[in-house]
Amino acid sequence: MSKELRFDGKVAIITGAGGGLGRSHALLLASRGAQVVVNDLGGSFSGEGKSSSAADKVVDEIKAAGGTAVANYDSVEDGDKIVKTAIDAFGRLDIVVNNAGILRDVSFQKMTQQDWDLIYKVHVLGAFRVTYAAWPYLRDQGYGRIVMTSSAAGIYGNFGQANYSMAKLGLVGFAQTLAIEGRKKNVLVNTIAPIAGSRMTETVLPQNLIDALKPEFVSPLVARLCHESSEETGSLFEVGGGFIGKLRWERTEGKTFRLGRGFSVEDVDAAWGQITDFKKSTHPDSVAGSMQPIMQNLEAGPSKGGNQFIDVDQALGYRFEDLHSSYDERDLALYALGVGAAKKPDDERDLQLVYELHGKGMKALPTYAVIPAVNAVLTMGKEGKQAPGLHYGLDRVLHGEQYTELKRPLPLHAKLTHRSTIKDIFDKGKNALVVTEIVSYDETGNELMRNEITTFVRGAGGWGGDRGPAQDVNVPPDRAPDKVVEEKIPENQALLYRLSGDWNPLHADPGMAKAFGFDKPILHGLCTFGYAGRQIVQAFAPDANPDFFKSIRVRFASTVLPGDTLVTEMWKESDQKIVFRCKVKERDQVCISNAAVEFYKEVPKAPAKAKPAAAAAGGGAAREPNSGDIFRAIGGFVAKNPDTVEKAKTVFQFKLSGPDSVWTVNLKDGAGSVSEGAGAAPQCTLEMSDADFMAMATGKADAMKLFGTGKLKISGDVMASQKLGFLKKLTPEMVLAETDKRLGAGGGAPAAAGGGAAEMTPTAWDVFIAMRDHVERNADLVGKVNTVFLFKIKNPDADWTLDLKNGKGAVSEGVVGTPECTLEIAEADFLDMTTGKSDPMKLFTTGKLKISGNVMASQKLSFLQKIDPEAAKAAVIKARAAGAGPKAAAASSGGAEAKAPAVFAALDKRLADKPALKDELRAVVVFKTTGPDAAWTVDCAGAAPSVKAGAAADPVATLTLTDADLGDLAAGKTGARELFQFGKLRIDGDVTVAHRLGLLKGLI
Amino acid sequence: MTSKVNVIGVGMVPFAKPGKSEEYNVMAAKAARTALGDAGVEYREVQQAYAGYVFGDSTCGQRAIYEVGLTGIPVFNVNNNCSTGSSALMLGAQAIAGGAAECVLVVGFEQMEKGALAAKWTDRTNPMDKHANLMNELQGFNQAPPAAQMFGGAGREYRWKYGTKRETFAKISAKARQHASKNPYALFKEVLSVEEIMASEEVFDPLTRYQCCPPTCGAAAAVLASDDFVRKHGISRPVYIAAQAMTTDYGTTFEEKSMIKMIGYDMAKAAAKQVYEKAGIGPENVDVVELHDCFTANELLTYEALGLCKEGEAEKFIWDGDNTYGGKFVTNPSGGLLSKGHPLGATGLAQCTELVWHLRGTAEARQVEGAKVALQHNLGLGGACVVTMYRRD
Repeated sequence: MSKELRFDGKVAIITGAGGGLGRSHALLLASRGAQVVVNDLGGSFSGEGKSSSAADKVVDEIKAAGGTAVANYDSVEDGDKIVKTAIDAFGRLDIVVNNAGILRDVSFQKMTQQDWDLIYKVHVLGAFRVTYAAWPYLRDQGYGRIVMTSSAAGIYGNFGQANYSMAKLGLVGFAQTLAIEGRKKNVLVNTIAPIAGSRMTETVLPQNLIDALKPEFVSPLVARLCHESSEETGSLFEVGGGFIGKLRWERTEGKTFRLGRGFSVEDVDAAWGQITDFKKSTHPDSVAGSMQPIMQNLEAGPSKGGNQFIDVDQALGYRFEDLHSSYDERDLALYALGVGAAKKPDDERDLQLVYELHGKGMKALPTYAVIPAVNAVLTMGKEGKQAPGLHYGLDRVLHGEQYTELKRPLPLHAKLTHRSTIKDIFDKGKNALVVTEIVSYDETGNELMRNEITTFVRGAGGWGGDRGPAQDVNVPPDRAPDKVVEEKIPENQALLYRLSGDWNPLHADPGMAKAFGFDKPILHGLCTFGYAGRQIVQAFAPDANPDFFKSIRVRFASTVLPGDTLVTEMWKESDQKIVFRCKVKERDQVCISNAAVEFYKEVPKAPAKAKPAAAAAGGGAAREPNSGDIFRAIGGFVAKNPDTVEKAKTVFQFKLSGPDSVWTVNLKDGAGSVSEGAGAAPQCTLEMSDADFMAMATGKADAMKLFGTGKLKISGDVMASQKLGFLKKLTPEMVLAETDKRLGAGGGAPAAAGGGAAEMTPTAWDVFIAMRDHVERNADLVGKVNTVFLFKIKNPDADWTLDLKNGKGAVSEGVVGTPECTLEIAEADFLDMTTGKSDPMKLFTTGKLKISGNVMASQKLSFLQKIDPEAAKAAVIKARAAGAGPKAAAASSGGAEAKAPAVFAALDKRLADKPALKDELRAVVVFKTTGPDAAWTVDCAGAAPSVKAGAAADPVATLTLTDADLGDLAAGKTGARELFQFGKLRIDGDVTVAHRLGLLKGLI
Repeated sequence: MTSKVNVIGVGMVPFAKPGKSEEYNVMAAKAARTALGDAGVEYREVQQAYAGYVFGDSTCGQRAIYEVGLTGIPVFNVNNNCSTGSSALMLGAQAIAGGAAECVLVVGFEQMEKGALAAKWTDRTNPMDKHANLMNELQGFNQAPPAAQMFGGAGREYRWKYGTKRETFAKISAKARQHASKNPYALFKEVLSVEEIMASEEVFDPLTRYQCCPPTCGAAAAVLASDDFVRKHGISRPVYIAAQAMTTDYGTTFEEKSMIKMIGYDMAKAAAKQVYEKAGIGPENVDVVELHDCFTANELLTYEALGLCKEGEAEKFIWDGDNTYGGKFVTNPSGGLLSKGHPLGATGLAQCTELVWHLRGTAEARQVEGAKVALQHNLGLGGACVVTMYRRD
């Protein structure tokens, strides 16, 4: 049995307490110790007349029962007098129940102004006057409870009560704002909509119902709301006949029209179902909640436009589900034959493309890289999978352009995962271009190739959107081609080529070809593409070796027929780039334009298998992150960014389906935590598919869009979901690091320790063991440093927490506790730093050491240099002997080649092509690069600009930076100003020269 | 009802390196006694005292002043980072101006440790975390002294904007050494050339070692009094405070993503503007300036913030010699923080002392001839900036 809710020492005003509900409230509160002002004008229920008898009777009743009460006979319009009665009699005021009311029921057509005004005066003005007089007392004492009395008639409307309905809903609004204004001062305001038999309701309800609707069934709720233990405020209750329930607003999901795009009456009409459908509803409970859809729309930004064919907002950035495929030597050989290879089987190079047992090894024709990607797109097309927002049929589309890039030579067989994204959508006026990017990964999760398919969509442009790059690329220079290759295409070539996957009958069926307006079946555009690619590799790749191939870009200009003679004109722009054009000799018609093939300078090497353990254990488990990795990355992020918790203050739960999992992201308690399963009571729950979650967390899908399309359901505190914006800050690296940890965990047997000290190659693990030993020996470190550090060691990855704050300090593997300062560094650099081979400051300024969190604390790590090497060695030997040891190290990445020569060669060429560019710089500038060291002089002061190796004697400015930073600058990855402010670019002489380095941009 | 605030007595002790000074209470008491003697006032006539210091437990102010006397007067301890001294001075001036006291003693002192400034309380939010985080965003964070990174970063930003030569910053330090060579109270009296300054170890580009103020120990004091008090004691033509203003950070400190703004440029600019308006005297009428040259970069920026030259013209101002004897102004005749030293709590009062001497014509070899209007600028990151104008009729 719970404790009796008492009101001892509390003073309550009940208006209209001479009978009915008011009397019942007064009797109940008085019986529980409250001192009550019983107010009643004593008039009739319709507000006529006045007498003191009603109030006196109730006061007598209360006194007879041993309670305390005084009567007041003033009209509620004189609310101050009623409040004065309470203060005079009891010296304070705690509770106000605005209950007084009258009825003037009449249908609207017969209603008089007086009917309207009188109802307003008693209900609304009266409640205002009483509350207004009471408010200062309640506020000043920091305590108050107010109850307004509303009615179903106000909430829902009721025939003959237009005046009364107005007044009663007016009180609800009045109470809502008072609740907000009073909350800080502990003045809580609620509204009840009671149904009870009273003098007022006797006229409208049948007697048997009135009997069931005793006032005594309403008063307990009023008392509960007025009790000092109550925290309820701003709420509305329906009560009566034994029922008590709370009301709230409900809003449909509604329709959001993106800003900046306008919408018509017809658009509203078309969306009517969505506007009125409560299936996905929310319950706003504040103006902020009311504004939420608007804020979301604002946040989503202006529409990128579209029309009935293309909705750019929906389509752009859409990522398709991953597709998988594989190929082997047979596919490569068939393709090679399909694009006219191996016409001379006695030529070794030709034979190598089709013969898997060739003595020098088989070689893949690099343009094959387009086939798996296009087949993936064709598969999606066959299955009817299209990106949302793209509403055009195949009849409108043409393959406009193709870009295919290889990261390294194609292996002879591979299992691939294709990730397709709508990368760009351009409005070309009448027509549109849609660029689909397909990135293909091999079994190890490493990117193997990238394709961009540019689809020309006839008649789908014209929404005034982004027109895309205007300039023509790869325009042949104004000179005779460096090489021309002529090749007749056999009549049966299309029949051979189609076996590689494009089964479109247009390329085989004469009838179908006629129907499309061609004399005969046409050749696949990509077959011509393969011809050209093969010819250029043969003509210009070093030693005609296809392994040097990097990329090919073409624009399809017109149709080629089997039997045509293909003329490929090639211009060597550099060792690495061949611009070309294909023509049909018979018609002197360009069929491929704006085309180029790029070669690598050196054959790129396959990356070392990142995680041999994973590959062995998982039978080729791809380096594919899963949702768990993302949650672990969130955990890592939260640990690194304690302000996330401060800002969010919410427990989120994610319920994912297919495969099902539940994760709790607690951004409320302590330092925050992320755990699998249902943890602390969630305030905001998000339900969605595992795949959608992955897409959302990796920025490939928009949360708002998922929410809008019903793929993401949010329950609980919906507003809180806006606090998940930090997810955007998760980087693919953070997630992949978790993936690697997960995949690596299977084979994580420590290296054998038997060899002893002589064979020991130190690893980060050893350093941390030494550090632990040092911390144990130097107890004062904790007091001095007083910080928890997290080291995120990369390649191989490991997390170590150095706690120099709690207890005696600790060095432990993994993320333990709440790190305040996080240092990210490659193992090799970490070892160099801790063995004094490299300077932490240098590592930091060159971006090899990243510090986040409390960056100030990183200065306290100087003790690392004081670790006694002998003691460290002893500690490590001991730990290794005990069977522990570092995890197997992964191969480190190879050294990069210098960027500066390429940058300045390209600059030289650019200035030779366009000497006018010198006018931007107008100065002699020396660039000094470090790592590797070199000096270059760019002279834009004279009439003819020049770029020379070596440093001129008297430059206007000397710019010193690392070779890598120069590369980034030339690639547009960073700006001179940023480099300068970060201290990565030193400028001697006239600093403003660095404002004018635009001519470096895009050089590489 | 506000009364004029007269500075009737000043005094300081020669500044010293950490470990080479006397204890804070000894230094502070010496400075206080000197100031009282300078004013010709007995300690028992002092009605309130304000003590500024940054490093030390609570009530060091009482401990120091108790060496001078125990009269039960109110003693307030003031801590406002590098502008602590001027903050104490301002409180004392307010007490006089508001009529709460006829005569107050303001003393500033600091007993510093060796090495760059660092946080003392690491178990709680660092008061400069917003500044540090912004800096990390704008230019990273490294092992250099944090203050040098902040002011040096502002120097970089300025260089980027106006193409300023690295030597220009060094030139400021050369001037400071030149001035300090004539100041017996200064820590570094040895004259250095621009080349020597440039050749010193780089702390944070463009700042080299000789362009950073050293940790210093020292104390300085001032006695402030109302007109009535001055009349009663027959003090003639005292130096008085023509106007004084304090500002703290504005939104622009963090919002504009600018290192120059982050280190308090707008605080200084706004405080100076208030002072010029209150006094009805613009920068063109100022003769001598003591400004907060914790790093050369800040002296350069402060020329512009105080309106001594137009924005973007500091380099020309420096090479034209408009910041030294024979130019438009003499800035930091004492040698400034760079050469005289920077004991945090004492700096604001040492600046005051130097300027009072100039207005009285008793600055000896450093005297700025005919100085009538003096301007003081004292800045603390975190932040607070106090600008004070002194005159003598």
